[in-house]
Amino acid sequence: MATYYDIPVGAQHISLLEPLHFKLTTENEKIVDVEANVGYVHRGIEKACTTKFKFRQVSFVIGRICGLCSISHTTAYSQVAEKLLNLEIPLRAKYLRILVLELDRIHSHMLCLSHVAENSGFEALFMRTMKDREISMELLEAVCGNRVQYDYSIVGGVARDLRPEVAQMILTRLKELRPKIDDLIDIFQNNWSLSLKNKGIGAISFEDAMRLNAVGPLARAAGVPVDVRNDTEDLLPWKQVGFEMVLENGGDVHARNMVRLRELLVSMKIIENVIQGLPEGPIVAETKALPEGEAVVRLEAPRGELFHYAKGNKTQYLERLKVKAPTFSNIPAFVEMFKGNEYASAPAIIASYDPCLSCTAR
Amino acid sequence: MKRIDLPLDKVVEEIGKFYRYDEHHFIVINAVDLGDAIEVQWFFSNYVAPGEVTMFAAKADASQLIPSITRVVPSAWVAEAELVDLMGINIENAKKGFVLEEDFEGAPLRKK
Amino acid sequence: MKAFFIAIGNLFKRPATIQYPFAPTYKPDDYRGLIEHNPDLCIWCRRCEMACPPGAIIFSQAMDGKQTYHYNRAVCIYCGECVRTCPKPGAIIQTATPATPALKDENINNSWAETVKMALESRAAYMAEKKRQAATKQQGGDTTQAE
Repeated sequence: MATYYDIPVGAQHISLLEPLHFKLTTENEKIVDVEANVGYVHRGIEKACTTKFKFRQVSFVIGRICGLCSISHTTAYSQVAEKLLNLEIPLRAKYLRILVLELDRIHSHMLCLSHVAENSGFEALFMRTMKDREISMELLEAVCGNRVQYDYSIVGGVARDLRPEVAQMILTRLKELRPKIDDLIDIFQNNWSLSLKNKGIGAISFEDAMRLNAVGPLARAAGVPVDVRNDTEDLLPWKQVGFEMVLENGGDVHARNMVRLRELLVSMKIIENVIQGLPEGPIVAETKALPEGEAVVRLEAPRGELFHYAKGNKTQYLERLKVKAPTFSNIPAFVEMFKGNEYASAPAIIASYDPCLSCTAR
Repeated sequence: MKRIDLPLDKVVEEIGKFYRYDEHHFIVINAVDLGDAIEVQWFFSNYVAPGEVTMFAAKADASQLIPSITRVVPSAWVAEAELVDLMGINIENAKKGFVLEEDFEGAPLRKK
Repeated sequence: MKAFFIAIGNLFKRPATIQYPFAPTYKPDDYRGLIEHNPDLCIWCRRCEMACPPGAIIFSQAMDGKQTYHYNRAVCIYCGECVRTCPKPGAIIQTATPATPALKDENINNSWAETVKMALESRAAYMAEKKRQAATKQQGGDTTQAE
């Protein structure tokens, strides 16, 4: 008869960035069952957005849900509010939103990659990826004027224009970043000791990813072609600026690393196209209308599909705002992913899944 | 967004007819407090026709038992557990204490 | 193997970290810093106060109707929404100066709560006074008409 042990991981754990609790049931070294608890950081932001803040102020509040994907939340909310107002924003504002979204994707993916390296026991690679990530942080600071909370999208457009010297700076710094990412791809692909902790670990099959409705790099690593950038062209012109879907097979930690690394290259290409083809014109569309009706918006955040639902009632305050974060959708797939792996692989799997608990619990 | 209004007892049946796991992507379940009733909304997007979002909406009383769709969509348990905590509604087989504390009383997103 | 040689080589390179306290970090020219108010240009419409998401700006009002601007740098999120809503260019501007940390002596939270309370009370008192004056004027008008 087998003996089962329950091993708790979290809510405070050395390999976790955020408060997340797992109860791993193990048989010898193998994980057989997992229970997840994600609600440690519920802050009632949805409630605050509908009671305390006017709809124009909400785009600043909602950015505070999360520091890493703050621009995704602000942009998704701005889009949903524009739908409620029946407002069409200028093309230049759309392009600038894409620019900041993609810069944000670079820094978020590199953070995730560095933590996969760290949790796999490769500290030197962690340091190196974080060092290279600093370039994207500086670019974001130059564009938005702040390092973490960008407050870039507002209802009706974007908050700041892109100055020509900043555009030039982005192009030159990205040229610096390019060989560094090529080096990283080489290490993540070929390093032998990293491959022991990454290849074939935490695998999820195509069928499972589809059945459990996984989103983002987790699904794309298993070969599921799900990317909102590929779906909608009416809100942000992704295909116009050269978006390509990145797909891998296998669905293990290594495949997820590869999806993220290759998406970095796609993001850099998109940024270059945006800057070279940036249309002239205003950056904000003004309106005096009040939000009415209901609308949904889907947006590809660094971790997957972000979903916002809003309902207005012709007052300054919204009736309901619902935020569905990508990590939230991935929890069922995540729980499945652990099963059959060794307990020692759990930290690498957690990091490769890139959990964002602030988004999930809100 | 396509909106389909349904009576509450028909929801699982209709979603079961509609949902194909290799064709539809389950997004989330949402609920809106309308004052006299609660509207529960199930959102699906489509892999085959990208950009299409379908919403099933059903009205329910606050005390009414809402059928669970986990028989049809296995990954819906997360969204159901969240709604039970935040909206204070009863969903079949959904556990309390996923987002808030287990002994928390009240429902934050309800208008009193 | 290649990574190993790079790691050995890195031992002889200068550190990548910025020598922060001794050398300044990168700061863009249009950094989002402190908000500054120019009372000479201001038209006292209070739109910045209404637009401010965290409520870092509040106007108090003296009995003669003169308004005073109060600002709390510890509440401000430096989003620049006040600058965008301002109908008079230059009345409220965003500088590139980073805020200094709040010290214990400043008592910034409690004193700000008192300031907000004082400002709202002063405005309510001014409005009540104005209403009273209007009422007496109205009354006076009525009596003259009656005569």
